[in-house]
Amino acid sequence: MAAGMKPGWKAGALVVICALAAPLLAAPNDIVAMRVAGFREVGAAFKNINDELKSSTPQKYVIQLSARQIRDYARQHYGWFPAGSGSKPGVKTAAKPEIWSQAAAFKTAQDGFAKQANAFATVAASGDVARMRAQAKALGQTCTVCHRSFRIEERR
Amino acid sequence: MGGERLIAMPDPHRQFVWDIPIRIFHWSLVGLLAFSWWSAENYRMDWHRLSGQAVLFLLIFRVIWGILGTQTARFRHFLKGPRAIRAWWKGDQSAPEQIGHNPLGGWSVVAMLLALGAQVVTGLFAVDIDGIESGPLSHLVDFEQGRLASAIHDTSFNILLALIALHVAAVVFYLLVRRQNLVGPMLTGTKAALQPAVPVRRGGVVQLLCSLTLAGAAAWWIFADPAF
Repeated sequence: MAAGMKPGWKAGALVVICALAAPLLAAPNDIVAMRVAGFREVGAAFKNINDELKSSTPQKYVIQLSARQIRDYARQHYGWFPAGSGSKPGVKTAAKPEIWSQAAAFKTAQDGFAKQANAFATVAASGDVARMRAQAKALGQTCTVCHRSFRIEERR
Repeated sequence: MGGERLIAMPDPHRQFVWDIPIRIFHWSLVGLLAFSWWSAENYRMDWHRLSGQAVLFLLIFRVIWGILGTQTARFRHFLKGPRAIRAWWKGDQSAPEQIGHNPLGGWSVVAMLLALGAQVVTGLFAVDIDGIESGPLSHLVDFEQGRLASAIHDTSFNILLALIALHVAAVVFYLLVRRQNLVGPMLTGTKAALQPAVPVRRGGVVQLLCSLTLAGAAAWWIFADPAF
């Protein structure tokens, strides 16, 4: 097909194709970095919540802000595991292949997180600390359940 | 204070080595370390925190007892300079018979106590990846710092395991090569009599109570619910 093409055109086409493909090749690394950063924010927000709930005089606004943050990430996190973003040479991730091989179970775990994140934000807004304590446990449970099935756990 | 010390030599056929506090310290530490390991591996973090509190108590007690306690427990007694270590290593017979830790073993005790200290202190500030489980002082640090403490907690545990392996290897070496049982004295407190017997100054009851109280108060206070 390229028989009639001038060599200059051929080289030019190659450059254009490479330029277009580069972000696609780089994408898995970016998405991994993005979800690592995202989940780190979730962890940090949940630490804030648990620190406050551990206290005898919790700062409700800290809990409420953190709860909204977690709810926000829970909505975004559906987009963090595109096919092909698992472990492979050059990509360091704790995401287990089961995320894609057991997609339905993973979706259920994701829904559990989103649901409890919503519920916690609602309870936090109500200002009832006792209910927040109970709901925080339910929310934390969704982290645990998903991580034990779908994350390569480093126990520390 | 001097009145409480006694040169205890009740049995002329046995040489006193380790007092009861040191023996209890040693064997409860063995149990607690195993339990801490098991509880962390099995996500029993409530138990892990309690176990850590007990280890903290033992550690503080051991340091104080290393200053106030029975002669064989004291750092000043068993920490020796390079010359003494060299003489002991070469098996110098003119060197005075030392009861308790040998000159090298004394430093291995310090290494183990330091690793254990790093383990306990990082555990106080550690935060897990979900921001759920955390040490009793973790509210004083942010998430990233807590994660760093957790990473060090992981590394220092491996260092601790290596030191324990070395310790056990040395005990086995003594048993098989030197034909000397070091486990027995750590259980009974005494070994076969020496000629002449070596007197060991015992720690006093008042010093013991002070050490226990200080260690207990510190371990309780560090783990108490934050008042903020």
